[in-house]
Amino acid sequence: MKMADMPTIPRGSATGRRSKVSADLPRPIRPGAGAAYAETIQPDPRWIARRRWARAGIIYTLLLACSLLFVGPLLFALLSSLKDNPSEWPPRLDPPQLNPANWAAAWQLGRQGGGNGWFGQFAPGRSVSFEVRYLVPPGAAAVPPQVQVPRRVPGAGAGAVRLGPFAADVAEVSPPQEVSRQPLARGTVVTYRFRIRNAGTVAVDRLPLDVSVPAGQVFQGATLWPSRQERQGRVQSWNNVTAGLIPYVFNNYVRVFRENYSRSTGQNLFLAWIRNSFLLATVRVLTTLVFAAMAGYALARLRFPGRNAVFFTLLFSMMIPSQVLFISNYLVLRDGIWGLAQIWGQQTLLNSFTGYLLSSVVTASGVFIMKQFFESLPASLEEAARIDGAGYIQVFTRVILPLARPALGALTILTFQGTWNEFFWPLVVLTAPQDRFTLTVGLLSFRRTYGVAFDWGPLLAGAIISALPVIILYLVFQRYFVEGISFTGTKG
Amino acid sequence: MFRITHLPVRGVALMLAVAIVCASLLVAAVPGPAQAKERVVRVSGWGGTDIAIVEELIDRFVKPQVAKEGIVVKYEPVADEFSTYLMNSLSAGTAPDLFYVDIYWSHGVFASGAVEPLDSYLAKSRVLKARDIVPDLLKAFTLNGKIYGIPKDFNTLALFYNKDLFDAAHVPYPNANDNWNTLTEKLRKVTNKSKGIYGIALTPEFARFGAFAYAAGFKPFDAQGHTDLSQPAFADAFKWYTGLVREGIGVLPADLGQSWGGGAFATEKVACAVEGAWMLGFLRDQAPNLPYGVTLLPKNPKTGKRGNIIYTVSWSMNAASKDKDAAFRVLEALTSPEAQQWILERGLALPSRAKLANNPYFQKGTPEAQANKIVFAGASDGYVYPFSFGKYGGDWMTPINEALAAVMSGKATADQVLPDLTARLRQLTK
Repeated sequence: MKMADMPTIPRGSATGRRSKVSADLPRPIRPGAGAAYAETIQPDPRWIARRRWARAGIIYTLLLACSLLFVGPLLFALLSSLKDNPSEWPPRLDPPQLNPANWAAAWQLGRQGGGNGWFGQFAPGRSVSFEVRYLVPPGAAAVPPQVQVPRRVPGAGAGAVRLGPFAADVAEVSPPQEVSRQPLARGTVVTYRFRIRNAGTVAVDRLPLDVSVPAGQVFQGATLWPSRQERQGRVQSWNNVTAGLIPYVFNNYVRVFRENYSRSTGQNLFLAWIRNSFLLATVRVLTTLVFAAMAGYALARLRFPGRNAVFFTLLFSMMIPSQVLFISNYLVLRDGIWGLAQIWGQQTLLNSFTGYLLSSVVTASGVFIMKQFFESLPASLEEAARIDGAGYIQVFTRVILPLARPALGALTILTFQGTWNEFFWPLVVLTAPQDRFTLTVGLLSFRRTYGVAFDWGPLLAGAIISALPVIILYLVFQRYFVEGISFTGTKG
Repeated sequence: MFRITHLPVRGVALMLAVAIVCASLLVAAVPGPAQAKERVVRVSGWGGTDIAIVEELIDRFVKPQVAKEGIVVKYEPVADEFSTYLMNSLSAGTAPDLFYVDIYWSHGVFASGAVEPLDSYLAKSRVLKARDIVPDLLKAFTLNGKIYGIPKDFNTLALFYNKDLFDAAHVPYPNANDNWNTLTEKLRKVTNKSKGIYGIALTPEFARFGAFAYAAGFKPFDAQGHTDLSQPAFADAFKWYTGLVREGIGVLPADLGQSWGGGAFATEKVACAVEGAWMLGFLRDQAPNLPYGVTLLPKNPKTGKRGNIIYTVSWSMNAASKDKDAAFRVLEALTSPEAQQWILERGLALPSRAKLANNPYFQKGTPEAQANKIVFAGASDGYVYPFSFGKYGGDWMTPINEALAAVMSGKATADQVLPDLTARLRQLTK
């Protein structure tokens, strides 16, 4: 902040204390103003400090507001993805999954069921102790609740057709015992305890529970907060009492991994999709780096006939929207690039990673980024290398590429996130089998798997997982992103 | 020392070009790998819960039957936007041999000629005859007298009711004898009993309202294919349906923060909803303890009949399939009585074979079995039409949906919108 920018302020009453400080400050120079005048309009340093803090405050408030505005939807999605019913209305900001008391309970119950706290289960011979509290209105008799382990299949997804084992077949529930009574002004809070024992021989991964009371008794709390309350509060229902901490808090995330597997190959589909997306993005980053760097260098530095024609073709190809080309690209892949794919034994390149990768080995914009960057490098560097006896290849690999690290970094990030998020082309090319989908196409299939039953939790969880790599990439490589944008003026 | 020369770019390019031409000539000359004896039949449908069902169906019922004939079944479920995928792949020649066709968009696909008529195969077949299938379902997949698909399952609409809310109001549950007037009375009592409770959730969509219009005797198309909404039946149904909401007995799901009738039903704030068997999976998940019952839709008091809409999906065959006989063998196995019985008994979908109406599953006392029984019965009770509007598709419903929304949200009255609506449909179908 330059002092000359500061508006002048008449001296206040605190002049004497200030003179020491003002000696260190550059004097404001005012054309046409006399030295005496300049002396009288010394700005007040406290005022400057206040002003500086105010500015910082405004800027930080604005930045915070903006970031909340941009990050808000993501945070809300993250919050919703933890809930049992993400589309609940009105939305709660404090779902039971975020309550440490429930974490402790989930951990304890998971251990009681024979699991390790992180991941619970309901093992043979183990029994789980559970408490529920109800408020009985004055004058009414306290009726012990009815406890039932229901035979419940998830409504949607692959879980809906699973055959068991079911906790209902092995669980034995002891009759609820009254543990304590606490009189209050509005009635009596009665606590009941019961035990659920696995009397069978198989371990079960889910222990659902329904507890019902007569109308009038009001649910106050339980060892673990219920997944839902039904029938105007008459029924408290838990999806899984012995979940353990992680499946309790991240229920939808765990479901995404557990419920989606290919029934023909037994592969975990969600893992397969993540792997596919990583593989394709990585290979494409590598091919893009190699070919964009070589082509960019050739166009920037080498003199050969037709160079301008190549460059203009390149520019022209950037102007054609990819949607225009996708039918012809599809047909080319269908026929295995006019039968060339038969050389390595493929009749068609549809539904194959080779086809997907071949159709986009390098992008024109990648070549363009590299060409622009190489042109900005001083030619004298290469000349010096050539005088020292380096050939084209050596100049390229030893001198140019190390210098091109910022451009290559930007290209890596743009290509990676572009491929990771790419949706349309994989949807068209990779239609079957399911374990060949990319993550984006897999998430689309969730719309049918879970969306048909309005079970949006796993879909949200999957979307959050798919956003994570790009978020991490942004956080780690912010600098290169900015450079990438300044090279191209675009974001991928 | 490394000598600096110009890159022989032109030479390299020429060599590359020659190499590519040689390679392609070579490939063209060498015959492709000898076709294996395998007769591959590719089967496709949409993903989701269907995947697990169809995979198991193929493993249990199809593979054992067709394996000895050397037929290999490949199942390729599609992530989403199945109709788009099917149209594209039929055009590109990459479509599977057997695929789903939803009645809603069936007209365009069948009319395109890309689907094989099945009459001659059905005539030859020993296990799959046209008469085995529920007639109304088969009719839905018949175009110009030819059968283009075998319905794999179906759905109709039924009245779901919340027993708690009726009990609380001391009102008898809706039943099969109810007509519009008696049901309205019951719903009115439930609504008046407690604040914030509504009698029925109604969506401003022909997909639900249509069943009531049909009950009143409304015919969507006359013999010339025109739509005449000036039939009194349409106005009667329109006024009754929208009147329920205007009177406060009915409620739009949107007013309860829900997107459909089932969502509103699960909030336990509405006593009834008009939905199909797709409600069951949803309720199992979102409201497992909701005590619900299901009954047939109410009768129209004048006609004394019910109406209903059939939602159904067929297995159809690609007209460009390389081995149609093998494809039909797979189709037979997919729709075999054993396969359909298995689907029914697992409570996954309703079978299209007429004989399964007497299956013991329907006699089970569970609410889900009861619901499936009612939905099955709905297909052959009263005036029933498939959810299909010929070549007009969704365009046919749009004006009606808009009019329903305008009246049900209180922006206009039925008498204000009906003349204009009649004119729009007449214009569309002229």
